[in-house]
Amino acid sequence: MTTIAAIANAIEATSIGTAIAESRYAFPIIEGTHLIALSVSVGLIFLTDLRLMGLFLRQVPAAAVLHGLRPYVLCGFALVFLSGGLLFWAEAAEVIASPAWVFKFAFIGLAGLNAVYFEFVIARRPGALSPERGALPRPVKLAGLASLTIWTLVVICGRLIAYLPHWS
Amino acid sequence: MTTETILNAIQGSAVSHAISKANHLLIAGFQVFHVMGFVLLLAALVLISLRLLGFILTQQTVPEVAHQALRLLWSGLALAVGSGLLMFIGSPRHYFYNPAFDLKMVLLVIATLVQAVLFRKVANSDHPSPWLARTSVALSLTLWFAVSMAGRAIGFV
Repeated sequence: MTTIAAIANAIEATSIGTAIAESRYAFPIIEGTHLIALSVSVGLIFLTDLRLMGLFLRQVPAAAVLHGLRPYVLCGFALVFLSGGLLFWAEAAEVIASPAWVFKFAFIGLAGLNAVYFEFVIARRPGALSPERGALPRPVKLAGLASLTIWTLVVICGRLIAYLPHWS
Repeated sequence: MTTETILNAIQGSAVSHAISKANHLLIAGFQVFHVMGFVLLLAALVLISLRLLGFILTQQTVPEVAHQALRLLWSGLALAVGSGLLMFIGSPRHYFYNPAFDLKMVLLVIATLVQAVLFRKVANSDHPSPWLARTSVALSLTLWFAVSMAGRAIGFV
């Protein structure tokens, strides 16, 4: 057994891990919470991405959408990570064996990098979010498209964990 | 025609056979669309709700924010219902006799009615009364959260 699998088994075997896995109500309630929280956080990110791409709320300044929604996106993410962490605690050994889980976390990392690059490089260029007229600059639109694509892949991989339990 | 006859007719149909005999990744595909539809619905609902409560985009009127978001909300619902219908056709008896599914359908009908009658009216008015705005937001969010919780429970009962 590899070290990673041994660690995952140890996490799952802790009292909280087994309590969640064996409770009739805890597991579905945590999964439901995970789904609702991701709908708020990832869903609001989708809306922001669509605004950056110029497909949604064009009459509202992009900066107002971006900054107005941010606290709610972050609150949603806190709940997503908390509920996701509890789910992982209960079935760590099973999920790390799934290729969908590995890809899901790779895409989450990529989405994070994209967000950081957007926030600290693209959005700081003069006029990036408030152009004199018309559409937002091309790099801003592309950052929105990249975010929309990557988060969609995260959702797809998340749903596939149960369907693709093993690599082969 | 009784419920049994209808369920058997659906289960015996060519579409039902095609779905239930197909690779299980087809069902996974339906579920991805189902989740994405719900994500769009809830995101649009939360956006309009935050504006109704006066938390975001206060420089814009409620209908300015809600107009496009409402279309997104109904598109999300259509996507979720369409993919859900395909899953149901694939194994109608499995779903129909599941108490969580029955509860979800009742909640779905109520949530849709509240959305179409109350919430849409409030989201389209320039100056909705704060009391009415707060009530519609609370009612709508609670109902859609309950729909998703009941949906998540289907696999566990």
